[in-house]
Amino acid sequence: MEEFFNNIKESFKDTELEFETINIKVDSTEWIEAHKKLRDEFNLKFFSWLSAVDWDNDVSVGEAPKESVSPCFEIISCLSDLANTNLITISTTIDKSDPKISSLVEIYGGANWHEREAYEMFGINFENHPNLEKLYLPDGYEGNPMLKSFELISREVKPWPGEVDVEGMPEETESDESADG
Amino acid sequence: MVNALDPQNMNSFSEASVSVEIETEDMTLNIGPQHPSTHGVLRLVAKVDGEKVHDVKPVLGYMHRGYEKLAEVRSYPQITTLVNRIDWVAGFSNEIPFIAGAERLMEIEVPERAKHIRLILNEMARISSHFVFNGAYALEVGALTPIFYAMEDRERVLDLIESVTGGRFHPNFNRIGGVKPAAGAGPTSKKNIQDLPAGFYRDTKVAMEKVIEAADQFQNLIGGNEVFKKRTKNVGVLTAETAEAYGVSGPILRASGVKSDLRTQTDYLPYDQFDYDIPTGENGDCYDRWDVRVKEMVESAKIVLQAIDSMPSGPLQAKVPKVIKVPKGRTYVRAENPKGEMGYYIISDGGLGPYRLKVRTASFSNISILPIMLEGALLPDLIAIMGSLDFVLGDVDR
Repeated sequence: MEEFFNNIKESFKDTELEFETINIKVDSTEWIEAHKKLRDEFNLKFFSWLSAVDWDNDVSVGEAPKESVSPCFEIISCLSDLANTNLITISTTIDKSDPKISSLVEIYGGANWHEREAYEMFGINFENHPNLEKLYLPDGYEGNPMLKSFELISREVKPWPGEVDVEGMPEETESDESADG
Repeated sequence: MVNALDPQNMNSFSEASVSVEIETEDMTLNIGPQHPSTHGVLRLVAKVDGEKVHDVKPVLGYMHRGYEKLAEVRSYPQITTLVNRIDWVAGFSNEIPFIAGAERLMEIEVPERAKHIRLILNEMARISSHFVFNGAYALEVGALTPIFYAMEDRERVLDLIESVTGGRFHPNFNRIGGVKPAAGAGPTSKKNIQDLPAGFYRDTKVAMEKVIEAADQFQNLIGGNEVFKKRTKNVGVLTAETAEAYGVSGPILRASGVKSDLRTQTDYLPYDQFDYDIPTGENGDCYDRWDVRVKEMVESAKIVLQAIDSMPSGPLQAKVPKVIKVPKGRTYVRAENPKGEMGYYIISDGGLGPYRLKVRTASFSNISILPIMLEGALLPDLIAIMGSLDFVLGDVDR
């Protein structure tokens, strides 16, 4: 993995190896070129997944980031090679006011459904996508459910009971029965 | 009057019939979401021209439960109950990559014994999933008998999973840092907690030998069947190149000739300690996909038998804080699940729950190839091709 990481780092400056995951950061304008390069030069032909993250300080679901972040969408895709030993994630950030990025469908056919999912869940427009329609959500559904500003209605109606104390271990009794019986 | 049967007049008639072309209108065929062959609630909208199918559009979302959103309002230990329900045919396997991801971020070293117990149950989940496939697939291509054998044999494996975890489909057995003491362990002492129920090794040996026997039986009962061969050989051929670009993984990818198995290539569980083969196919057709899974059952049974013989002793749990907080960071952990690559991309902000949890499921990518595989296929082959992908809608929609 170290060797592969060093090779990647030569081509992509902003690369980190964190918790056994290689993450490359690219500018959104280089999104397509970076994927082409990784597919053709580094032999990363297996398209694993693509998704997005909504970075925002003002959240209505879950916990807000502890340190202030600049609001943006982060788009992440994950690629691995034929033998599946090398794996990388590539990420880029795009502006929230005009969320759009080029589609990867031309390079990886498998990006099609993943981009449709990100489109309906986050409202990100994938340019040149052949069929940018809703994937899961019914027709006429309004809103993008995975946004941090999108409320989880059931939680609003009935708050979570919260942390319940964990029961202790059962009391001591002697037993010699073992699994080998 | 002209006699049509007179050989002298035959030529003129046959010529006339050849030159006429009948315009047929495409019919739109709606399959599902309640059709039994759709493994849940997949809906396909296909155009049918005579017997040929084209323009297939899968319609998803009937089983969408929004787990990625729900995970954002839950703590890490609570999420294991959610992920159990993603691929319910192999519930145990779903927990592994998530737990492994949280452990990696927390830098916890899991005790060897806990890892072995996870590995054994993970392989049992694979066997039970492949039993379901074997029975269901034979049923879909017209053989009624195998499903009864498959369900009976699967029951033996599910009983074992139940005896350890207390659950047949949703074990919820993994804890961050190890596994919980077994449900069937009986009275426990604080010094020496029983993890496996009495007689577990003996019952497992019997069950695994039965699995190997059953796989042999399937090879004869299903694989040796002329009708089954006719329906599956050279049907729905998938090339390795297409499979990779679409992220198709697991037995489907291996049936197309790619020797790729995350069990050997990553270290989420100690698979490198055991000796087993990775079955691959040659043609990438429906028959190969079936064949690879049957052979995999045997390999899984072999792994379980080896793991039982080399079971280390020791604690079940690493030392973990009482309130689990995962440090800031992000990681992607993937695992070889019965249906292919399953992984969790965890973005932690140092809180009680993840800031974002991306769930990568095998079936989602596996069936995204359906429109390509079904283009121009015959209508009866549609079910044969769809069934050979072995998907579960919980694993597609999440």
